[in-house]
Formats: sequence, structure tokens, C-alpha cells
Amino acid sequence: MRLARDPRLDALCGGYLLGTLRGPARRRFERAVRQEPEVALRLRHWESTFSPRYSEMIGIQPSRSGWKRLLDELDLARYRAPWYRRLGFWRAWALAATLALLAGVSVQLLLPVLRTAELVEVARLESADKVEVLSAALSKDRRMLRLHAVRPVISGPAQSFELWLLPAEGGAPISLAVLGALDARVALPASQAERLRVGAKLAVSVEPAGGSPTGAPTGPVILVGDIRS
Amino acid sequence: MLDNRELKRLILSTALRGEGSAEAFETLYRMCAPLLLGVALRLVRRRELAEEILHDSFTRIWRSAESLDPMSTQPLAWMVAIVRNRAIDVLESHDVSRVDALDASAADEALDQLFDWSPGPEHDLDLQRAARLLRDCLAGLQAAERQSLVLAYAHGMSHRDLAAHLKKPLGTVKGWIRRGLGNLRECVERCTEPAR
Repeated sequence: MRLARDPRLDALCGGYLLGTLRGPARRRFERAVRQEPEVALRLRHWESTFSPRYSEMIGIQPSRSGWKRLLDELDLARYRAPWYRRLGFWRAWALAATLALLAGVSVQLLLPVLRTAELVEVARLESADKVEVLSAALSKDRRMLRLHAVRPVISGPAQSFELWLLPAEGGAPISLAVLGALDARVALPASQAERLRVGAKLAVSVEPAGGSPTGAPTGPVILVGDIRS
Repeated sequence: MLDNRELKRLILSTALRGEGSAEAFETLYRMCAPLLLGVALRLVRRRELAEEILHDSFTRIWRSAESLDPMSTQPLAWMVAIVRNRAIDVLESHDVSRVDALDASAADEALDQLFDWSPGPEHDLDLQRAARLLRDCLAGLQAAERQSLVLAYAHGMSHRDLAAHLKKPLGTVKGWIRRGLGNLRECVERCTEPAR
């Protein structure tokens, strides 16, 4: 039976958050939340009404072995970015570069050479009034796209930018990344890297925080540009 | 202060199951595990059980990250519900005493220990308002309704536990909970509607 039309829906949402909904009844409710959007919507309303902020005073550091156990049991190593794409690596690299500077090495001379050697600009994205806003450059191995904003564009507090690939062969836009800021580095899966070729386009839309809820652009497309090489 | 927008981003990255999902999940764990462990410990009151509940809950968060409602603005509430429900299952299957050293007048104080009612960061204005309304509406409930709700929430009591603890028939207690929740919702909705 569909729960969305059940007169007890509010009592079920309340009991779920309160903890008095138990056993098979709770499992039925959880299934309905996944399967019936109206039930999810109602629970969301209850969550926003009945979610006072927990006091951080009640927090306790978990045992050190806790994370290690999750890492092993869930085989999380499979989902780790390779070392050279991790933020930690780039941070360490930045630190090393700073140290090199301190040591008197002329990093200023070195960096532009390194950068141009490793990245090739493939598109410039324009706004509707033809103002160039964003430069997109691809790494030589085609696995990383670097976005650089020529002009500052700030998203609202409840918004994200989403980068889309409009394939050369047509078809639905493919989401490449959800961005907090337009200056970003995006890791490209091999399957999508191949599609970044002449005839395809890149576009940026404004989406709710966290990105498009539907998998297709829902907000206004603010920037678009052809891939040139 | 846990930022719901950041938590949502991390949960969505976790759900992608791509490169970097493990890092997002680890950040989520580092940010939320202490609070969630505290939530579990408040309910089961035994450290080793609370650690198990935390482990089971993060396993569930990893496995069902894609089921987070994409429009949710309260991912922390989603995680808290997972932890609380796991803790309640453990309470039901273990012989954990919940009613020791608990007197009725302490019930209201329990909520003040659990929650931070003070004004939060600016971007949480709606949340602040909701929290204040909730507290005011709770205070406006009949004493028996309020006490049952607080005992159920703060101590993970089932209808049966409540009936035993309050020495009232099961049906009476169920009625308090049902009416308490209904009145609370009506009060909050009545107070928010004119502002919409």
C-alpha cells in the first residue's frame, strides 16, 4: 500500500524521527521514503522542523581503530584518488614550491614553463553578452581539466556551478563536475576525456547547492564555449 | 560547527563511488563521528556498544549514501536518524537499562544537554528560528505529552518502556506520543505560516 496517502503519514514521520517507530514498521517506512517522493518530501518537512542543532558538548572522539576498521571492511582503498590527484599531494607540492622559493631557487621562472608544458587551452567560455569569462585547459594526458576564471564570478550561498560537456555527436549534456568556484581542477574519467574534442562544447549552469538534483541542467546556463582542439 | 551544505557535498561525493569518494567519506567521518558517537552513547550509555553503533552506522551511510534525498537540506538529521535507529535496535536486543537514575524532573534538562539552543551562524537563520519555535512549542505542550516525547527522544524509550517507566497503560502512553507529536507539528506550522 502506498504510504503517501496514508492518513497516518505525519504520525509515521514523527515517530521515525522520535524513535518510537520500530521493527518492521520502520523498515516499511524507510522503503517508502526511498520509493515514494511524497513520503520523502513529508519527511524532509519534518526534518527541517524537528532538527535542533546538537550541542557539540556531547561529542566524543571515537577510538583510533574505528576508521581503520571501516577502511578495511568497506575496501575503501578502491575509491581513493591516485596520489598525484589528491589535494594533499598538491598541497605538499605547493609547500615544496614555497620551500624552493625560500631556498632562493627562482620558482617564478620555473612555474610558467611547467604550467604551459603540461596544459593546453581547449576552450574559452563566454557569457550571453559575449564576454570571455572562463578558460579551460587540458593536461597532456587528457585526464585533468583546469578552469581559470578571467573575470570573477561568485555563486550565491545556496548555489553551485555545474560544468557540462555537450557531446559532439549530440545527446544529453554530461555532468563533469560540481564546482563551488569557477577556478578549479577537474579530474576527467577516461570515457569523458575522449569526448572532449572539436565539435563538442563546454557549458556552466547555476544549480542548487550540491549540483543538479536531476542529472540534467536545471538552472540557467551562464557560460558556454566550443572545444577548439 | 557542522555545515549542512558541506556535509551534503561530502555525502554526494561518497555516493559517486569514483576516485575521491573514499577521501570524501573520510572527511565526513572525521567531521561527524565525534558528534554521532555522542548521540549513540547518550542512548545506550555503554562506550563499547556506542562504538559498534558508530561503525554500523557509517557502514550504512557508505552503502546508502545515494539514497540521501537530493533535495534534503538536513543531511546531518539524515545521519542522526541512522545512528539513533541503529542505537534503538541495539537497545532492543541488549539488556541495557534505560530507566536507572532517571527522575521525571530531569527529562526537560535532558534536552538542554542534548541540544545547543543558542543562536548559530548567520546562514542558519531558518534553522535557528525553527529550533526556537520547537523549544517554545514543546514548552506549550501538556506535561504528560512533553515528558513522553522527551523521554522517547533523549533516552530511546519505546512505547512499552514509557508505559513501564511512567506506570501507565500502553494505550495511554501511545495517545500522549501521538497527540504530543500532532500538537507540536500544529504549533510549529501555525507559527511559521504567516511568515511564508
